[in-house]
Amino acid sequence: MFRKVIPFFALIIVPVPLFSQVINKVPLSPRTTGYSIDVKLDTAAKTVSGTMEAFWVNNSRESVPDIRLHMYMNAFKSRNSTLGKESGRSPGVKESDPGWIDLKSLDDKQGNNLIPLMKYISPDDENPSDSTVLQVILPKPAKPGDTVFISAEFETKLPSRIRRTGFSGEYFFVAQWFPKFGVYEPAGMRYRAESGWNCHQFHITSEFYANHSVYDVKITLPKRYVLGSGGMLIKESDAGTNLKTVTLRAEDIVDFAWTAWPGYAVHTDKWEHVNITLLLPEARNRQVERQFTAVKNALEYLTENVGPYPWPHLTFVDPPTIGAGAGGMEYTTLFTSTSADRMPEWLHLPEMVTVHEFGHAYFMGMLATNEFEEPWMDEGMNSFWEARIIDHYWGENSGLIDNRHLQVADKSYSRISYARSPNRQVVSNNEFSWNYPSGTYGMMSYNKVTVWLYTLMGIIGEETMNEVFREYYRQWAFKHPAGKDFINVVNEVVARIHGDKFGPDMNWFFEQTLYGTGICDYKVSGFDNIRLKSEGNKDSDTLSGEPMSKDSLYKAVVKLQRLGEVMLPVEVLVHFENGDEIPEIWDGRDRYKELTFFGHGKMEWVKIDPEYRIRMDINFINNSMTNDPDRVPIRRMANKLISLMQFYISALTL
Amino acid sequence: MKIFKSLGSGARLALRSWKAILIVWFVMLLLVSLFVLPAKSIMRTGFGSSTITELLRSGINVDVLSDLERYLASILSYLSSGLFLLLMLGILLYSLFAGGLFKSVSNLSQVLSVPCYFRASAKYFWYFLGLWFFVIIMILLSGLLIIGLPVGLISQAENPSPDVLQVVAIIAGLLYLGLLIIFTLVADYARAWLIAAEKPALFKAMGFGFNETFKRFGSSFPMMVLILIIILIFSWMASTIIGLWKPTTGGGVFLFFIISQMLFFVKILLKTWRYGSVTSMMELNNPMTG
Repeated sequence: MFRKVIPFFALIIVPVPLFSQVINKVPLSPRTTGYSIDVKLDTAAKTVSGTMEAFWVNNSRESVPDIRLHMYMNAFKSRNSTLGKESGRSPGVKESDPGWIDLKSLDDKQGNNLIPLMKYISPDDENPSDSTVLQVILPKPAKPGDTVFISAEFETKLPSRIRRTGFSGEYFFVAQWFPKFGVYEPAGMRYRAESGWNCHQFHITSEFYANHSVYDVKITLPKRYVLGSGGMLIKESDAGTNLKTVTLRAEDIVDFAWTAWPGYAVHTDKWEHVNITLLLPEARNRQVERQFTAVKNALEYLTENVGPYPWPHLTFVDPPTIGAGAGGMEYTTLFTSTSADRMPEWLHLPEMVTVHEFGHAYFMGMLATNEFEEPWMDEGMNSFWEARIIDHYWGENSGLIDNRHLQVADKSYSRISYARSPNRQVVSNNEFSWNYPSGTYGMMSYNKVTVWLYTLMGIIGEETMNEVFREYYRQWAFKHPAGKDFINVVNEVVARIHGDKFGPDMNWFFEQTLYGTGICDYKVSGFDNIRLKSEGNKDSDTLSGEPMSKDSLYKAVVKLQRLGEVMLPVEVLVHFENGDEIPEIWDGRDRYKELTFFGHGKMEWVKIDPEYRIRMDINFINNSMTNDPDRVPIRRMANKLISLMQFYISALTL
Repeated sequence: MKIFKSLGSGARLALRSWKAILIVWFVMLLLVSLFVLPAKSIMRTGFGSSTITELLRSGINVDVLSDLERYLASILSYLSSGLFLLLMLGILLYSLFAGGLFKSVSNLSQVLSVPCYFRASAKYFWYFLGLWFFVIIMILLSGLLIIGLPVGLISQAENPSPDVLQVVAIIAGLLYLGLLIIFTLVADYARAWLIAAEKPALFKAMGFGFNETFKRFGSSFPMMVLILIIILIFSWMASTIIGLWKPTTGGGVFLFFIISQMLFFVKILLKTWRYGSVTSMMELNNPMTG
């Protein structure tokens, strides 16, 4: 209740332009922060400069002596910034290359100059050359319930090499461009022991953590530029010679970004209540239908299986080649995809990127996790849903590539990336994003998580998995859940649907997959058909309990092994010559397990996890064994390769 | 009329050279099999007694293949390193046997015996190899200049117009296609001349090739267009059959092998038809050649 009253109070006292228009009748989030920004884009100097008024509400139960602001454009200032050091790249040597943000003035509501009270800090790595986090000591500590107002005049220079943000020629993608509050976390929030600011530096492998905010933004720019943003267009007015001012508003989103380029073609479409705008170069007009189909499929699937998309607007951008560095990023109601002027129909790369980036509207946008500290909750969960959506709409086995000669599912890509990585065990998923060893962040945060979420779905079932996410959405949308909150939801939903079938809770699963570094690998190490000397009256010692038939003179023994550290319950399916098939459940705990069968004749084959639901298993080949392996596909592949090479050589030889 | 006469004559000559074609087919099968069969064997070992190969029945399954791990690494490393060697050997062998094929489609000779075929192959090997080298260089360079350069320049523009890009790409593509046909004609005339010449010489042959191509452009070019269209249609049909046919039984795979090899035999036959037609055209135009 306390949290709801304060924003309402803030809404009354905040300057009028801040809340002059309302998109959602009822605020979706607590709106702890809000911004009113008025800037001008200087297309020659490559700067964005203007004023900002912003507020932050102290929702905690203690006085807070300071505020912290992200000044992320300073990451592009020099090669000594934390981003520069982590990437090993310089912003460039020309004057126009670096990016930076300069605060010309910073005042509080009483007009106190806050500039002398501010200093750059580096809470993550103590890098004295990094100036991406600004601490401002307040003249008077903010008491519980207080709203801190700041008023700033700032200038942002965009970097020349677009890495999510910057310019290239006349192309501008403007993100991380204004001073933005960190998140103040009271004790207990996200299981933290003590209250404090959560405001990390800009790292190469991390993106955002921010409060849901309201944005009133005015941008003045040349008339010939087409502008796209995460806000709703409120007004467009003339601003003098060849200039226009675009007024925008966005509510309950965690970041506000925008793009401007004269070459954009604008396309619109609608899905239920959502007005969708797509900006892309004219040369990519062929991609328009594909892009809209992708985003509408994602809207439909996530609405059905997770929760509704609450905003009435959505803009996405397929940047031109010169702005490719801006592709594949998410700003909730604005995201960027990627494609090319000519993209084969069978290659669903644009669809994959579009579905993925849109999915972040849920996983990080609404369910506003801390991507710095728990990147698996953002990229991992989102990649899991991306794979499900892509494979659902574009083919279970051909979601990513649907060529007549080659088909690849999206979920296969994730599994291969994880299972074949030599670094799959060097770190767990429970790491801050910048602490991942070199080259492991993507594989761990995106792909390993996708694989173990699929494995979880294989164990608890698809409908239960959907219910987990629906409940997660119901409990945590427009809040800041932590990993433990998600696990609690899983435990609650699984217990509700399956009782204690999987034990008192599912913590055993997360301890091994999320917090552990072990691998999962089950193996059939062999099976024997032992001819019995005479018919006996032995009972079957299997769960099947089938009586021994007269013509069954074999004792069949299956030998199973657990090669990896991860212990998961698996199904074992045994097939006999007489057509009998016996499914068994193995808890997967022992390193070695024998199953013995009487009364079914000779065993033909045995499979562990016959439906390949345990996608964490790093080797499906050793999951089964047969006395009559099917060599036909191998021979066929060899023959095709022979023919292909013959024709290829013939074509090369005039 | 000259075109159809040459085409008809080329077809008769090609059919008459079936033994030579059989030799080319067999040697190429042997060469490629020697390259592919070890990879197949590694794959068999990798899959062992697993039932997982059932997932490969409907085609390539990357999930399954990736699980071959070190076996897959071995296969890929073997194929990638062996591919260059295979291509080199293929080019050398083709250059070798093309001499015999051209000799056997030459009207000056009667049905060529197998020893004569090999003798001719050996005699013209270095000339044909050199010719292949120069023509391939010309094809690659012209591709770079005619397609790569203009398309690359236009796509570097900040916001290239799709219409301009498309028009330029189509024009450059057509131009390049025309040049490919011309280079093929040059190569074929040059080789036909080498066979007919008393004193073969590489650069003289190339000069003759260019001269003959442009001197008889009105008849040579449409004839080559017709031949290449037929060969292209056949190759497309053959690759479609080979690519899409997924036999699931042992018998089916054997039938697939027979059919695919028959298709390749026909492919060499069509190529020989091209050699024969160009040779006939040259002989019609230059009765005293050689």
